Amino acid sequence: MKKITLLLALSCFAFLSSCGDHDHEPVGVNFDITFKATFDGVQLEKNKDVQFGSIPLFVEACRMYLSDITLLNGSKETRLSEIEYLDFTPGNATFATPTITFKNVPEGEYTGIRIGYGVKPTLNAKAPSDFPAGHPLSVEVDYWSGWDSYIFTTLDGKADPENDGTKNLSLAYHCGSDAVYKTFEFDLPIHVHEGQAGARVTFDMKKFLTLADGSLYDIVANPATSNSASNVIVAQALTANFGRATTVEQ
Amino acid sequence: MKTLGNKNISWLAFASLVAITFIAACDKDDPQPMVVSGDLMDIPYSPQTYTIIKPANFPEIPIPANNPMTVDGVQLGRRLFYDPILSADSTMSCSSCHLPQGNFTDNKAVSTGIDGIAGRRSSMALLNLAYVLPQDGYFWDGRAKTLEDQALLPVEDPIEMHNTWPNVVEKLKKHANYPSLFRKAFGINDRTEITKELAAKALAQFERILVSSGKSKFDEFVGGNFDAFDDEEIDGKLMFFDEGQFYNLPDAQCFHCHGGITLTGGKFFNNGLDSVGSLDEFKDLGRFKVTGIESDKGKFRAPTMRNIALTAPYMHDGRFQTLEQVMDQYSDNGYGVVNEGAFLNQIGFPNGDGTYTGLTPYQKKAIVKFLNTLTDTTFVKNPDIQNPF
Repeated sequence: MKKITLLLALSCFAFLSSCGDHDHEPVGVNFDITFKATFDGVQLEKNKDVQFGSIPLFVEACRMYLSDITLLNGSKETRLSEIEYLDFTPGNATFATPTITFKNVPEGEYTGIRIGYGVKPTLNAKAPSDFPAGHPLSVEVDYWSGWDSYIFTTLDGKADPENDGTKNLSLAYHCGSDAVYKTFEFDLPIHVHEGQAGARVTFDMKKFLTLADGSLYDIVANPATSNSASNVIVAQALTANFGRATTVEQ
Repeated sequence: MKTLGNKNISWLAFASLVAITFIAACDKDDPQPMVVSGDLMDIPYSPQTYTIIKPANFPEIPIPANNPMTVDGVQLGRRLFYDPILSADSTMSCSSCHLPQGNFTDNKAVSTGIDGIAGRRSSMALLNLAYVLPQDGYFWDGRAKTLEDQALLPVEDPIEMHNTWPNVVEKLKKHANYPSLFRKAFGINDRTEITKELAAKALAQFERILVSSGKSKFDEFVGGNFDAFDDEEIDGKLMFFDEGQFYNLPDAQCFHCHGGITLTGGKFFNNGLDSVGSLDEFKDLGRFKVTGIESDKGKFRAPTMRNIALTAPYMHDGRFQTLEQVMDQYSDNGYGVVNEGAFLNQIGFPNGDGTYTGLTPYQKKAIVKFLNTLTDTTFVKNPDIQNPF
């Protein structure tokens, strides 16, 4: 009988201890990030004229994949998402500013965020048929068998380099393949608490077309990315600009 | 509370049917036959999930939660698709404009409705419709978000079936077979529960099974049988997908609009058919009528290239009789209209001054030959999708 009593007492202790452990686990909350594309600081709209240096142009399509969106706090990392697909120029509207709600994010103070621009190599090794319907990587229109790669970033448009009122220069920047994938970190305090406003991530596509020295990319000489998976110089040059083209705020 | 035994229910159902038949026969114009509640309950309702057969390298087929695929749902949809009961004078069915042998087109420039009025546009191929995204929608202009929405529209279109759904529903309720088929498909208890929404769901289920067989010559090639193509077909494929740079072949830029395994991105383009001074001059404003976006004037859906050789004539208005004519058009690099597709003026090799060479006769011929490898006769001959009557 004594043994049974002892066993029961130990069981109760173990049960209560385990309850106590649960109580100390961090509680996750919803955290929103709103994504926006701009051109020279102004909302990017489909087929709306903008100025690129002396060249008038408009954007027809702006889409991108982002991988491993991760909140940072020193050495601690909290991945919000493995892959996201953003279409800033959807078929039924002139622009979109998609908001994504990340669920069960541990509450706390973070010191920055890391974003992967494109589809990370482990996922890029797959194809749309490998993913269920509705998955961001099931989108066929942004996969190119010629590269065996997703098209990470799409920026299509038309420019009028002669300034004669005719936009006869087609711009087609389709960046893809593993060599083009790039990550950038942005340092800023990010507060994740119940009821706290989310973050805003803005991609300025004029800065995407602006080099590190501040000069504008020569869109007349290079109006399109190469079709060769072994020649991704233009795609790499443009993707490298995302660090400066991205603004994160809260 | 007393419950009715099976025998009593059977008797009641039989009596109801006799009464309905009698009333319907006596007065054809009676819009509302007398129906005893639960007149179909004696018919078993045991839905079996319908699994759509798709090629292994095709993405998973999205099925809407509010219209799960069932064997009886598909069969009902198939009958409705081929039955002229949907048109006002019972002369025209969906299949009048969408015949299997034409990849579910009618091979006419534009289709003609029951009143002999020609429509504005060519009937679209019905293949791999299940993959269309709601944001793109159905028809040449994407005006229906879902297959269920799409199925509702031709019935009441005055230049197509020129009927009304209330009229169709009444005919279905009075029909000798359809009430039981609706019961089996959707579990309705009596014929008064037949609605246009259920009819559209059944039609959508049937249209959702219209998926490639994966047995075209192209599928053989991408599946690893490289002997399936001759040299000309390989050249055509390389140009179609802009993969010919190491073989001194130019980019034909086709895949930008007709990409992915289903060979359609489902998006809308001005594909450079007409030289217009302003976008308002397009004879058919296309996608603009749906979105109201100025730059969508004159834009139409890029159709699937699978089975394209079976769907002549081509374009939304059927203006081209042959694929050779289509290639001639694209090889001219458009007219420079402001909303033409970004790649439309980049077909061929670059001339160095922003213009492109277009394609040589051999290159055009090779691409047409490649397009013929996309023909999927297994699909169009599939007995499960033929006329059941």
